[in-house]
Amino acid sequence: MDSQPNISRFAACLQVFRLTLRRQFFSRQTIVIGVLLFLALAITIVWAVPKPWNPEPRTGEQLAEQILSPLFMGFLLPLISLGYASSTISGERTGQTLVYLLSTSIPRPQIYLSQFSAVLLLTMGITLGCLGTLCVTVGMDGVAVLREFAPVVTLATVCYVALFLLFSAWLRRATFLALAYALMIETLTANIPGVVKRITVSFYANSWLYDDSPLDLAPNANLPPYEPVSGGIAVAVLLAASIGFLALGMWLFSRKEYE
Amino acid sequence: MTIKGTTTTAARPLVEVGNVSKWFGPLMALNDISLEIGPGITGLIGPNGAGKTTLLKLLTGQSKPSLGNVQICGHDAWLSKAKAHVGYCPYGDATWDELSGRRLVQVTAGLHGFTGDEAKRRTEAVLETVGMVDRANRPVHTYSKGMRQRIKLGQALIHDPDLLVLDEPLNGVDPVGREELNELFQRLANAGKAVLISSHILNEMDELANHILFVCRGKLLASGSLETIREVLDDYPLKVRVSCGSPRQVAPQLMALESVKSVSVEPPEDLFLEVQNPNRFYAEFGEFATADDIQLSRLKATDTSAEAVFDYLMERAARPE
Repeated sequence: MDSQPNISRFAACLQVFRLTLRRQFFSRQTIVIGVLLFLALAITIVWAVPKPWNPEPRTGEQLAEQILSPLFMGFLLPLISLGYASSTISGERTGQTLVYLLSTSIPRPQIYLSQFSAVLLLTMGITLGCLGTLCVTVGMDGVAVLREFAPVVTLATVCYVALFLLFSAWLRRATFLALAYALMIETLTANIPGVVKRITVSFYANSWLYDDSPLDLAPNANLPPYEPVSGGIAVAVLLAASIGFLALGMWLFSRKEYE
Repeated sequence: MTIKGTTTTAARPLVEVGNVSKWFGPLMALNDISLEIGPGITGLIGPNGAGKTTLLKLLTGQSKPSLGNVQICGHDAWLSKAKAHVGYCPYGDATWDELSGRRLVQVTAGLHGFTGDEAKRRTEAVLETVGMVDRANRPVHTYSKGMRQRIKLGQALIHDPDLLVLDEPLNGVDPVGREELNELFQRLANAGKAVLISSHILNEMDELANHILFVCRGKLLASGSLETIREVLDDYPLKVRVSCGSPRQVAPQLMALESVKSVSVEPPEDLFLEVQNPNRFYAEFGEFATADDIQLSRLKATDTSAEAVFDYLMERAARPE
Protein backbone atom coordinates (compact mmCIF):
# COMPACT_ATOMS: atom_id res chain seq x y z
CA MET A 1 0.00 0.00 0.00
CA ASP A 2 2.81 2.38 -0.74
CA SER A 3 1.88 3.52 -4.22
CA GLN A 4 0.56 6.98 -4.89
CA PRO A 5 -3.06 6.85 -3.80
CA ASN A 6 -5.79 7.84 -6.23
CA ILE A 7 -8.15 9.58 -3.84
CA SER A 8 -11.32 11.29 -4.94
CA ARG A 9 -13.49 13.32 -2.57
CA PHE A 10 -16.40 12.96 -4.97
CA ALA A 11 -16.01 9.17 -4.98
CA ALA A 12 -16.00 9.19 -1.18
CA CYS A 13 -19.25 11.18 -1.11
CA LEU A 14 -20.71 8.84 -3.72
CA GLN A 15 -19.87 5.93 -1.45
CA VAL A 16 -21.72 7.62 1.45
CA PHE A 17 -24.66 8.14 -0.93
CA ARG A 18 -24.70 4.50 -2.06
CA LEU A 19 -24.25 3.15 1.44
CA THR A 20 -27.07 5.30 2.82
CA LEU A 21 -29.36 4.39 -0.05
CA ARG A 22 -28.70 0.69 0.39
CA ARG A 23 -29.01 0.70 4.18
CA GLN A 24 -32.23 2.70 4.12
CA PHE A 25 -33.84 0.66 1.37
CA PHE A 26 -33.02 -2.70 2.98
CA SER A 27 -34.45 -1.71 6.32
CA ARG A 28 -37.51 -2.24 8.52
CA GLN A 29 -38.81 1.15 7.41
CA THR A 30 -39.27 -0.17 3.88
CA ILE A 31 -41.38 -3.06 5.17
CA VAL A 32 -43.57 -0.75 7.29
CA ILE A 33 -43.93 1.75 4.45
CA GLY A 34 -44.67 -1.08 2.02
CA VAL A 35 -47.50 -2.33 4.26
CA LEU A 36 -48.92 1.22 4.57
CA LEU A 37 -48.77 1.73 0.82
CA PHE A 38 -50.44 -1.61 0.21
CA LEU A 39 -53.26 -0.65 2.60
CA ALA A 40 -53.60 2.77 0.96
CA LEU A 41 -53.78 1.16 -2.46
CA ALA A 42 -56.35 -1.39 -1.25
CA ILE A 43 -58.52 1.40 0.23
CA THR A 44 -58.26 3.39 -2.99
CA ILE A 45 -59.18 0.42 -5.20
CA VAL A 46 -62.19 -0.40 -3.01
CA TRP A 47 -63.15 3.27 -3.10
CA ALA A 48 -62.75 3.46 -6.92
CA VAL A 49 -64.78 0.36 -7.78
CA PRO A 50 -68.31 1.38 -8.93
CA LYS A 51 -70.94 0.39 -6.32
CA PRO A 52 -74.57 -0.65 -6.97
CA TRP A 53 -75.70 2.48 -5.16
CA ASN A 54 -73.15 4.60 -6.97
CA PRO A 55 -72.46 3.11 -10.42
CA GLU A 56 -70.75 6.23 -11.80
CA PRO A 57 -66.96 5.85 -12.17
CA ARG A 58 -64.90 8.01 -9.82
CA THR A 59 -63.47 11.23 -11.21
CA GLY A 60 -60.02 12.68 -10.82
CA GLU A 61 -61.46 15.50 -8.77
CA GLN A 62 -63.02 13.02 -6.34
CA LEU A 63 -59.73 11.17 -6.11
CA ALA A 64 -57.89 14.37 -5.26
CA GLU A 65 -60.48 15.49 -2.76
CA GLN A 66 -61.30 12.22 -1.02
CA ILE A 67 -58.09 10.21 -1.25
CA LEU A 68 -55.03 12.22 -2.19
CA SER A 69 -55.52 15.29 -0.01
CA PRO A 70 -56.48 13.58 3.26
CA LEU A 71 -54.78 10.20 2.95
CA PHE A 72 -51.72 10.80 0.79
CA MET A 73 -50.80 14.43 1.45
CA GLY A 74 -51.94 14.53 5.07
CA PHE A 75 -50.70 11.15 6.23
CA LEU A 76 -48.59 9.04 3.89
CA LEU A 77 -46.27 11.73 2.57
CA PRO A 78 -44.97 12.91 5.96
CA LEU A 79 -44.85 9.32 7.21
CA ILE A 80 -42.79 8.01 4.28
CA SER A 81 -40.43 10.98 4.57
CA LEU A 82 -39.93 10.61 8.30
CA GLY A 83 -39.56 6.84 8.02
CA TYR A 84 -36.37 7.22 6.03
CA ALA A 85 -35.01 10.67 6.90
CA SER A 86 -35.38 10.54 10.67
CA SER A 87 -33.58 7.19 10.93
CA THR A 88 -30.64 8.03 8.67
CA ILE A 89 -28.16 9.62 11.08
CA SER A 90 -29.84 8.59 14.32
CA GLY A 91 -29.94 4.99 13.07
CA GLU A 92 -26.19 5.00 12.40
CA ARG A 93 -25.76 6.60 15.80
CA THR A 94 -27.79 4.07 17.78
CA GLY A 95 -26.16 1.26 15.77
CA GLN A 96 -22.74 2.74 16.71
CA THR A 97 -21.67 2.83 13.07
CA LEU A 98 -21.72 6.61 12.63
CA VAL A 99 -18.14 6.64 13.87
CA TYR A 100 -17.01 4.95 10.63
CA LEU A 101 -18.38 7.83 8.59
CA LEU A 102 -17.05 10.49 10.93
CA SER A 103 -13.55 8.95 10.97
CA THR A 104 -13.12 9.45 7.25
CA SER A 105 -11.56 12.55 5.78
CA ILE A 106 -14.84 13.61 4.16
CA PRO A 107 -15.88 16.96 5.66
CA ARG A 108 -19.01 16.54 7.76
CA PRO A 109 -21.21 18.89 5.69
CA GLN A 110 -20.46 16.75 2.64
CA ILE A 111 -21.37 13.57 4.52
CA TYR A 112 -24.66 15.22 5.48
CA LEU A 113 -25.32 16.38 1.94
CA SER A 114 -24.60 12.91 0.53
CA GLN A 115 -26.96 11.32 3.03
CA PHE A 116 -29.60 13.92 2.27
CA SER A 117 -29.32 13.19 -1.45
CA ALA A 118 -29.65 9.44 -0.90
CA VAL A 119 -32.67 9.72 1.38
CA LEU A 120 -34.28 12.27 -0.92
CA LEU A 121 -33.88 10.01 -3.94
CA LEU A 122 -35.35 7.04 -2.11
CA THR A 123 -38.23 8.99 -0.56
CA MET A 124 -38.98 10.81 -3.79
CA GLY A 125 -39.07 7.56 -5.73
CA ILE A 126 -41.51 6.03 -3.28
CA THR A 127 -43.77 9.07 -2.86
CA LEU A 128 -44.03 9.80 -6.58
CA GLY A 129 -44.41 6.08 -7.35
CA CYS A 130 -47.18 5.82 -4.78
CA LEU A 131 -48.87 8.96 -6.11
CA GLY A 132 -48.76 7.62 -9.66
CA THR A 133 -50.16 4.25 -8.58
CA LEU A 134 -53.04 5.86 -6.67
CA CYS A 135 -53.81 8.15 -9.61
CA VAL A 136 -54.12 5.33 -12.16
CA THR A 137 -56.89 3.72 -10.10
CA VAL A 138 -59.34 6.19 -11.69
CA GLY A 139 -58.03 5.66 -15.20
CA MET A 140 -56.99 8.45 -17.57
CA ASP A 141 -58.67 11.03 -15.37
CA GLY A 142 -55.93 10.36 -12.87
CA VAL A 143 -53.22 11.61 -15.26
CA ALA A 144 -54.45 15.19 -14.91
CA VAL A 145 -54.50 14.78 -11.13
CA LEU A 146 -50.97 13.38 -11.21
CA ARG A 147 -49.84 16.39 -13.22
CA GLU A 148 -51.32 18.72 -10.59
CA PHE A 149 -49.97 16.86 -7.56
CA ALA A 150 -46.51 15.79 -8.77
CA PRO A 151 -44.72 19.17 -8.41
CA VAL A 152 -46.34 19.79 -5.03
CA VAL A 153 -45.42 16.33 -3.77
CA THR A 154 -41.87 16.78 -5.08
CA LEU A 155 -41.29 20.04 -3.22
CA ALA A 156 -43.12 18.89 -0.08
CA THR A 157 -40.96 15.74 -0.04
CA VAL A 158 -37.78 17.84 -0.25
CA CYS A 159 -39.01 19.96 2.64
CA TYR A 160 -40.04 17.00 4.82
CA VAL A 161 -36.80 15.13 4.16
CA ALA A 162 -34.74 18.21 5.03
CA LEU A 163 -36.76 18.70 8.23
CA PHE A 164 -36.66 15.09 9.40
CA LEU A 165 -32.97 14.70 8.56
CA LEU A 166 -32.37 17.73 10.77
CA PHE A 167 -34.19 15.89 13.58
CA SER A 168 -31.98 12.90 12.85
CA ALA A 169 -28.79 14.93 13.16
CA TRP A 170 -30.04 16.51 16.35
CA LEU A 171 -31.50 13.64 18.38
CA ARG A 172 -30.64 10.02 19.06
CA ARG A 173 -34.32 8.92 19.00
CA ALA A 174 -35.33 11.24 16.20
CA THR A 175 -38.07 8.98 14.83
CA PHE A 176 -40.22 9.45 17.96
CA LEU A 177 -40.03 13.22 17.74
CA ALA A 178 -40.62 13.12 14.00
CA LEU A 179 -43.66 10.88 14.49
CA ALA A 180 -45.04 13.18 17.17
CA TYR A 181 -44.42 16.15 14.89
CA ALA A 182 -46.09 14.48 11.90
CA LEU A 183 -49.16 13.39 13.83
CA MET A 184 -49.59 16.37 16.16
CA ILE A 185 -48.38 19.30 14.12
CA GLU A 186 -48.77 18.30 10.48
CA THR A 187 -51.99 16.31 10.74
CA LEU A 188 -53.87 18.11 13.54
CA THR A 189 -52.59 21.69 13.48
CA ALA A 190 -52.79 21.89 9.70
CA ASN A 191 -56.56 21.41 9.86
CA ILE A 192 -57.51 23.80 12.63
CA PRO A 193 -58.62 27.37 11.93
CA GLY A 194 -56.29 30.27 12.65
CA VAL A 195 -52.72 31.08 11.80
CA VAL A 196 -51.05 28.29 13.79
CA LYS A 197 -51.26 25.98 10.78
CA ARG A 198 -48.87 28.27 8.93
CA ILE A 199 -45.98 26.54 10.69
CA THR A 200 -46.77 23.29 8.88
CA VAL A 201 -45.38 22.07 5.58
CA SER A 202 -48.76 20.65 4.58
CA PHE A 203 -50.41 24.08 4.78
CA TYR A 204 -48.11 25.48 2.09
CA ALA A 205 -48.38 22.30 0.01
CA ASN A 206 -52.18 22.54 0.15
CA SER A 207 -52.10 26.27 -0.56
CA TRP A 208 -50.09 25.59 -3.70
CA LEU A 209 -52.59 22.92 -4.75
CA TYR A 210 -55.59 25.19 -4.17
CA ASP A 211 -54.08 28.03 -6.14
CA ASP A 212 -54.67 28.10 -9.91
CA SER A 213 -55.63 24.44 -10.06
CA PRO A 214 -57.96 23.34 -12.88
CA LEU A 215 -59.35 20.86 -10.35
CA ASP A 216 -61.75 22.18 -7.78
CA LEU A 217 -59.65 21.41 -4.72
CA ALA A 218 -60.61 24.36 -2.54
CA PRO A 219 -61.67 23.39 0.97
CA ASN A 220 -65.31 22.78 1.78
CA ALA A 221 -67.15 26.10 2.17
CA ASN A 222 -69.02 24.76 5.20
CA LEU A 223 -65.78 24.28 7.12
CA PRO A 224 -64.02 27.14 8.96
CA PRO A 225 -62.05 29.34 6.53
CA TYR A 226 -58.73 27.76 5.48
CA GLU A 227 -57.22 31.05 4.27
CA PRO A 228 -54.54 29.60 2.01
CA VAL A 229 -51.64 31.75 0.85
CA SER A 230 -51.03 32.27 -2.86
CA GLY A 231 -49.23 29.60 -4.89
CA GLY A 232 -46.20 31.85 -5.34
CA ILE A 233 -45.82 32.43 -1.62
CA ALA A 234 -46.36 28.74 -0.89
CA VAL A 235 -43.60 27.72 -3.30
CA ALA A 236 -41.27 30.39 -1.91
CA VAL A 237 -41.89 29.28 1.67
CA LEU A 238 -41.42 25.59 0.85
CA LEU A 239 -38.17 26.35 -1.00
CA ALA A 240 -36.86 28.63 1.73
CA ALA A 241 -37.81 26.13 4.45
CA SER A 242 -36.10 23.27 2.58
CA ILE A 243 -32.90 25.25 2.13
CA GLY A 244 -33.09 26.51 5.71
CA PHE A 245 -33.61 23.05 7.22
CA LEU A 246 -30.83 21.61 5.06
CA ALA A 247 -28.39 24.38 5.99
CA LEU A 248 -29.28 24.10 9.67
CA GLY A 249 -28.83 20.34 9.55
CA MET A 250 -25.42 20.66 7.89
CA TRP A 251 -24.36 23.23 10.45
CA LEU A 252 -25.54 21.11 13.37
CA PHE A 253 -24.01 17.89 11.99
CA SER A 254 -20.67 19.55 11.36
CA ARG A 255 -20.44 20.78 14.96
CA LYS A 256 -22.10 18.12 17.05
CA GLU A 257 -20.06 15.63 19.06
CA TYR A 258 -21.74 12.26 18.73
CA GLU A 259 -21.16 9.79 21.55
CA MET B 1 1.94 14.85 39.35
CA THR B 2 2.97 13.57 35.97
CA ILE B 3 5.99 11.39 35.49
CA LYS B 4 7.69 11.70 32.15
CA GLY B 5 10.03 9.07 30.84
CA THR B 6 11.98 9.19 27.63
CA THR B 7 9.88 9.09 24.50
CA THR B 8 10.36 7.36 21.20
CA THR B 9 9.25 10.35 19.17
CA ALA B 10 10.98 11.39 15.99
CA ALA B 11 11.79 15.00 15.01
CA ARG B 12 8.14 16.02 15.07
CA PRO B 13 5.62 13.86 16.90
CA LEU B 14 2.59 12.68 14.96
CA VAL B 15 0.30 13.54 17.83
CA GLU B 16 0.56 16.59 20.04
CA VAL B 17 -1.92 17.02 22.85
CA GLY B 18 -1.55 20.36 24.62
CA ASN B 19 -3.16 21.03 28.02
CA VAL B 20 -6.37 19.29 27.07
CA SER B 21 -9.33 19.17 29.41
CA LYS B 22 -12.73 17.76 28.58
CA TRP B 23 -15.96 18.16 30.52
CA PHE B 24 -19.27 16.40 30.07
CA GLY B 25 -21.54 18.69 32.05
CA PRO B 26 -20.17 18.65 35.60
CA LEU B 27 -18.02 15.58 34.95
CA MET B 28 -14.38 16.23 34.14
CA ALA B 29 -13.37 13.38 31.87
CA LEU B 30 -9.86 14.68 31.13
CA ASN B 31 -7.90 17.09 33.28
CA ASP B 32 -5.11 19.14 31.72
CA ILE B 33 -3.44 16.40 29.72
CA SER B 34 -0.36 17.06 27.59
CA LEU B 35 1.41 14.34 25.67
CA GLU B 36 3.15 13.50 22.43
CA ILE B 37 3.02 10.31 20.43
CA GLY B 38 5.54 9.30 17.81
CA PRO B 39 6.22 6.19 15.74
CA GLY B 40 6.13 2.89 17.60
CA ILE B 41 3.59 1.22 19.82
CA THR B 42 2.14 3.34 22.57
CA GLY B 43 -0.04 1.73 25.19
CA LEU B 44 -2.81 3.76 26.75
CA ILE B 45 -3.46 2.16 30.08
CA GLY B 46 -5.99 2.88 32.76
CA PRO B 47 -8.93 1.37 34.59
CA ASN B 48 -12.47 1.59 33.22
CA GLY B 49 -13.69 5.18 33.37
CA ALA B 50 -10.16 6.62 33.43
CA GLY B 51 -10.76 8.74 30.33
CA LYS B 52 -9.10 6.49 27.74
CA THR B 53 -11.99 6.46 25.29
CA THR B 54 -12.49 10.21 25.69
CA LEU B 55 -8.84 10.75 24.82
CA LEU B 56 -9.13 8.44 21.80
CA LYS B 57 -12.21 10.32 20.61
CA LEU B 58 -10.28 13.58 20.81
CA LEU B 59 -7.40 12.07 18.85
CA THR B 60 -9.71 10.74 16.13
CA GLY B 61 -11.67 13.97 15.80
CA GLN B 62 -14.93 12.54 17.12
CA SER B 63 -14.90 15.00 19.95
CA LYS B 64 -13.51 18.48 20.65
CA PRO B 65 -11.55 19.44 23.76
CA SER B 66 -13.19 21.86 26.20
CA LEU B 67 -9.75 23.41 26.70
CA GLY B 68 -6.42 22.93 24.95
CA ASN B 69 -5.71 21.52 21.53
CA VAL B 70 -5.08 18.22 19.78
CA GLN B 71 -2.90 18.19 16.67
CA ILE B 72 -2.40 15.28 14.28
CA CYS B 73 0.49 15.78 11.87
CA GLY B 74 0.20 19.51 12.47
CA HIS B 75 -3.57 19.71 11.84
CA ASP B 76 -6.37 20.18 14.33
CA ALA B 77 -7.71 16.66 15.00
CA TRP B 78 -11.30 17.79 14.36
CA LEU B 79 -10.51 18.74 10.77
CA SER B 80 -10.68 16.34 7.83
CA LYS B 81 -7.02 16.99 6.96
CA ALA B 82 -6.04 15.37 10.25
CA LYS B 83 -8.42 12.44 9.79
CA ALA B 84 -6.65 11.44 6.58
CA HIS B 85 -3.68 10.48 8.78
CA VAL B 86 -5.68 8.47 11.32
CA GLY B 87 -7.08 4.95 11.25
CA TYR B 88 -9.55 4.27 14.04
CA CYS B 89 -10.73 0.92 15.33
CA PRO B 90 -13.43 1.79 17.87
CA TYR B 91 -14.45 -0.24 20.90
CA GLY B 92 -17.32 -2.67 20.49
CA ASP B 93 -18.55 -4.99 17.79
CA ALA B 94 -20.76 -2.65 15.82
CA THR B 95 -20.20 -2.31 12.12
CA TRP B 96 -22.32 -2.65 8.97
CA ASP B 97 -23.22 -6.24 9.73
CA GLU B 98 -25.26 -6.97 6.65
CA LEU B 99 -22.21 -6.65 4.37
CA SER B 100 -19.64 -9.35 3.80
CA GLY B 101 -16.19 -8.79 5.27
CA ARG B 102 -14.73 -8.10 1.82
CA ARG B 103 -17.53 -5.70 0.88
CA LEU B 104 -17.23 -3.93 4.23
CA VAL B 105 -13.53 -3.24 3.72
CA GLN B 106 -14.16 -2.22 0.12
CA VAL B 107 -16.91 0.19 1.21
CA THR B 108 -14.50 1.66 3.74
CA ALA B 109 -11.95 2.07 0.94
CA GLY B 110 -14.64 3.93 -0.99
CA LEU B 111 -15.34 6.16 2.01
CA HIS B 112 -11.67 7.12 1.95
CA GLY B 113 -11.98 8.06 -1.70
CA PHE B 114 -10.38 5.02 -3.34
CA THR B 115 -12.06 3.80 -6.48
CA GLY B 116 -11.97 0.89 -8.91
CA ASP B 117 -8.85 -1.23 -9.01
CA GLU B 118 -7.10 0.76 -6.31
CA ALA B 119 -9.95 0.08 -3.87
CA LYS B 120 -9.91 -3.62 -4.76
CA ARG B 121 -6.14 -3.86 -4.47
CA ARG B 122 -6.16 -2.20 -1.06
CA THR B 123 -9.04 -4.39 0.10
CA GLU B 124 -7.22 -7.60 -0.80
CA ALA B 125 -3.96 -6.35 0.70
CA VAL B 126 -5.64 -5.42 3.96
CA LEU B 127 -7.59 -8.71 4.16
CA GLU B 128 -4.29 -10.51 3.69
CA THR B 129 -2.66 -8.38 6.40
CA VAL B 130 -5.37 -9.08 8.99
CA GLY B 131 -5.63 -12.74 8.01
CA MET B 132 -9.22 -12.68 6.79
CA VAL B 133 -8.89 -13.59 3.09
CA ASP B 134 -10.47 -17.02 3.45
CA ARG B 135 -13.40 -15.77 5.51
CA ALA B 136 -14.00 -12.46 3.74
CA ASN B 137 -17.05 -13.50 1.74
CA ARG B 138 -19.12 -14.35 4.81
CA PRO B 139 -21.53 -11.71 6.14
CA VAL B 140 -20.08 -9.85 9.11
CA HIS B 141 -23.01 -10.83 11.36
CA THR B 142 -21.79 -14.45 11.21
CA TYR B 143 -18.32 -13.52 12.48
CA SER B 144 -16.94 -14.33 15.92
CA LYS B 145 -15.75 -11.49 18.13
CA GLY B 146 -12.15 -12.06 17.14
CA MET B 147 -12.99 -12.04 13.43
CA ARG B 148 -14.90 -8.81 13.88
CA GLN B 149 -11.86 -7.27 15.54
CA ARG B 150 -9.73 -8.30 12.59
CA ILE B 151 -12.12 -6.93 9.99
CA LYS B 152 -12.45 -3.67 11.96
CA LEU B 153 -8.69 -3.48 12.00
CA GLY B 154 -8.78 -3.95 8.25
CA GLN B 155 -11.16 -0.98 7.98
CA ALA B 156 -8.76 1.12 10.05
CA LEU B 157 -5.78 0.14 7.88
CA ILE B 158 -7.36 0.60 4.46
CA HIS B 159 -6.01 4.10 3.81
CA ASP B 160 -2.55 3.32 5.17
CA PRO B 161 -2.73 5.84 8.04
CA ASP B 162 0.27 7.25 9.90
CA LEU B 163 -1.50 6.89 13.22
CA LEU B 164 -3.52 3.82 14.11
CA VAL B 165 -5.82 4.28 17.10
CA LEU B 166 -7.11 1.01 18.52
CA ASP B 167 -9.60 0.88 21.38
CA GLU B 168 -9.24 -2.49 23.14
CA PRO B 169 -8.31 -4.29 19.88
CA LEU B 170 -7.53 -7.62 21.53
CA ASN B 171 -10.90 -7.82 23.25
CA GLY B 172 -12.41 -11.22 22.48
CA VAL B 173 -9.48 -12.40 20.39
CA ASP B 174 -8.19 -15.91 21.16
CA PRO B 175 -4.55 -16.39 22.28
CA VAL B 176 -3.33 -17.42 18.82
CA GLY B 177 -5.10 -14.44 17.30
CA ARG B 178 -3.59 -12.15 19.91
CA GLU B 179 -0.16 -13.37 19.01
CA GLU B 180 -0.82 -12.72 15.32
CA LEU B 181 -2.29 -9.28 15.91
CA ASN B 182 0.56 -8.33 18.22
CA GLU B 183 2.98 -9.30 15.48
CA LEU B 184 1.00 -7.16 13.06
CA PHE B 185 1.14 -4.17 15.41
CA GLN B 186 4.87 -4.68 15.71
CA ARG B 187 5.26 -4.80 11.92
CA LEU B 188 3.28 -1.58 11.56
CA ALA B 189 5.40 0.07 14.24
CA ASN B 190 8.56 -1.11 12.53
CA ALA B 191 7.27 0.45 9.31
CA GLY B 192 7.28 3.84 11.05
CA LYS B 193 3.60 4.01 12.01
CA ALA B 194 2.38 5.24 15.36
CA VAL B 195 0.13 2.61 16.91
CA LEU B 196 -1.85 3.73 19.94
CA ILE B 197 -3.48 0.83 21.76
CA SER B 198 -5.89 1.38 24.59
CA SER B 199 -6.34 -1.37 27.12
CA HIS B 200 -7.43 -1.93 30.68
CA ILE B 201 -5.65 -5.30 30.70
CA LEU B 202 -2.28 -4.10 31.91
CA ASN B 203 -0.13 -7.16 31.30
CA GLU B 204 -1.14 -7.05 27.62
CA MET B 205 1.11 -4.04 27.22
CA ASP B 206 4.19 -5.34 29.01
CA GLU B 207 5.88 -6.75 25.95
CA LEU B 208 3.91 -5.02 23.24
CA ALA B 209 4.27 -1.32 23.92
CA ASN B 210 7.55 0.55 23.93
CA HIS B 211 5.89 3.66 25.30
CA ILE B 212 3.13 3.75 27.86
CA LEU B 213 0.61 6.39 28.90
CA PHE B 214 -0.93 5.73 32.30
CA VAL B 215 -4.22 7.55 32.84
CA CYS B 216 -6.50 7.51 35.82
CA ARG B 217 -9.49 9.68 36.73
CA GLY B 218 -8.88 11.88 33.73
CA LYS B 219 -5.25 12.57 34.57
CA LEU B 220 -2.07 11.44 32.90
CA LEU B 221 -0.16 9.79 35.73
CA ALA B 222 2.96 8.93 33.74
CA SER B 223 4.30 8.53 30.24
CA GLY B 224 7.40 6.87 28.83
CA SER B 225 8.83 3.38 28.62
CA LEU B 226 7.97 1.05 31.49
CA GLU B 227 11.62 0.87 32.54
CA THR B 228 12.09 4.61 32.72
CA ILE B 229 8.84 5.15 34.58
CA ARG B 230 9.80 2.41 37.02
CA GLU B 231 13.20 4.02 37.54
CA VAL B 232 11.62 7.35 38.33
CA LEU B 233 9.53 5.73 41.05
CA ASP B 234 12.51 5.83 43.43
CA ASP B 235 10.35 5.77 46.54
CA TYR B 236 9.40 2.21 45.63
CA PRO B 237 12.50 -0.03 45.77
CA LEU B 238 12.79 -2.38 42.83
CA LYS B 239 12.05 -5.99 43.78
CA VAL B 240 14.43 -8.52 42.28
CA ARG B 241 14.43 -12.30 42.52
CA VAL B 242 17.81 -14.03 42.32
CA SER B 243 18.00 -17.80 42.00
CA CYS B 244 21.29 -19.44 42.89
CA GLY B 245 22.68 -22.66 44.34
CA SER B 246 23.50 -21.43 47.85
CA PRO B 247 21.23 -18.51 48.78
CA ARG B 248 22.16 -18.43 52.47
CA GLN B 249 25.83 -17.90 51.61
CA VAL B 250 25.16 -15.32 48.94
CA ALA B 251 22.66 -13.25 50.98
CA PRO B 252 25.18 -11.46 53.24
CA GLN B 253 27.42 -10.69 50.28
CA LEU B 254 24.55 -9.13 48.40
CA MET B 255 23.51 -7.17 51.47
CA ALA B 256 26.98 -5.60 51.38
CA LEU B 257 26.22 -3.97 48.01
CA GLU B 258 25.39 -0.30 48.43
CA SER B 259 22.35 -0.38 46.17
CA VAL B 260 20.71 -3.28 47.99
CA LYS B 261 18.29 -2.23 50.68
CA SER B 262 17.16 -5.61 51.95
CA VAL B 263 17.57 -9.30 51.25
CA SER B 264 15.30 -12.17 52.19
CA VAL B 265 15.90 -15.85 51.55
CA GLU B 266 13.26 -18.14 50.21
CA PRO B 267 14.53 -21.74 50.20
CA PRO B 268 15.56 -23.78 48.42
CA GLU B 269 17.32 -21.40 46.03
CA ASP B 270 15.64 -17.99 45.82
CA LEU B 271 16.65 -14.62 47.20
CA PHE B 272 14.41 -11.59 47.17
CA LEU B 273 16.15 -8.22 47.05
CA GLU B 274 14.87 -4.70 47.44
CA VAL B 275 17.02 -2.41 45.36
CA GLN B 276 17.22 1.35 45.70
CA ASN B 277 18.97 2.35 42.50
CA PRO B 278 18.38 -0.21 39.73
CA ASN B 279 21.12 1.01 37.35
CA ARG B 280 23.71 1.01 40.08
CA PHE B 281 22.50 -2.36 41.31
CA TYR B 282 22.87 -4.01 37.92
CA ALA B 283 26.41 -2.62 37.62
CA GLU B 284 27.36 -3.78 41.13
CA PHE B 285 25.68 -7.13 40.68
CA GLY B 286 27.52 -7.76 37.42
CA GLU B 287 30.87 -7.22 39.10
CA PHE B 288 29.84 -9.28 42.11
CA ALA B 289 28.64 -12.23 40.06
CA THR B 290 31.75 -12.44 37.89
CA ALA B 291 34.24 -11.80 40.70
CA ASP B 292 32.87 -14.35 43.14
CA ASP B 293 32.01 -17.01 40.58
CA ILE B 294 28.52 -17.52 41.88
CA GLN B 295 26.27 -20.09 40.19
CA LEU B 296 23.29 -17.96 39.21
CA SER B 297 20.35 -19.52 37.45
CA ARG B 298 18.01 -16.51 37.30
CA LEU B 299 17.84 -12.77 37.89
CA LYS B 300 14.45 -11.16 37.43
CA ALA B 301 12.87 -7.91 38.48
CA THR B 302 9.40 -8.81 39.77
CA ASP B 303 7.70 -5.42 39.85
CA THR B 304 8.51 -3.85 36.51
CA SER B 305 5.33 -5.06 34.84
CA ALA B 306 2.78 -2.52 33.70
CA GLU B 307 0.43 -3.76 36.41
CA ALA B 308 2.98 -3.28 39.20
CA VAL B 309 4.04 0.14 37.92
CA PHE B 310 0.42 1.20 37.61
CA ASP B 311 -0.30 0.11 41.18
CA TYR B 312 2.63 2.19 42.41
CA LEU B 313 1.47 5.17 40.39
CA MET B 314 -2.04 4.88 41.78
CA GLU B 315 -0.68 4.60 45.30
CA ARG B 316 1.54 7.61 44.74
CA ALA B 317 -1.32 9.64 43.27
CA ALA B 318 -3.51 8.85 46.26
CA ARG B 319 -0.88 10.10 48.71
CA PRO B 320 -1.30 13.68 50.01
CA GLU B 321 1.19 16.08 48.37
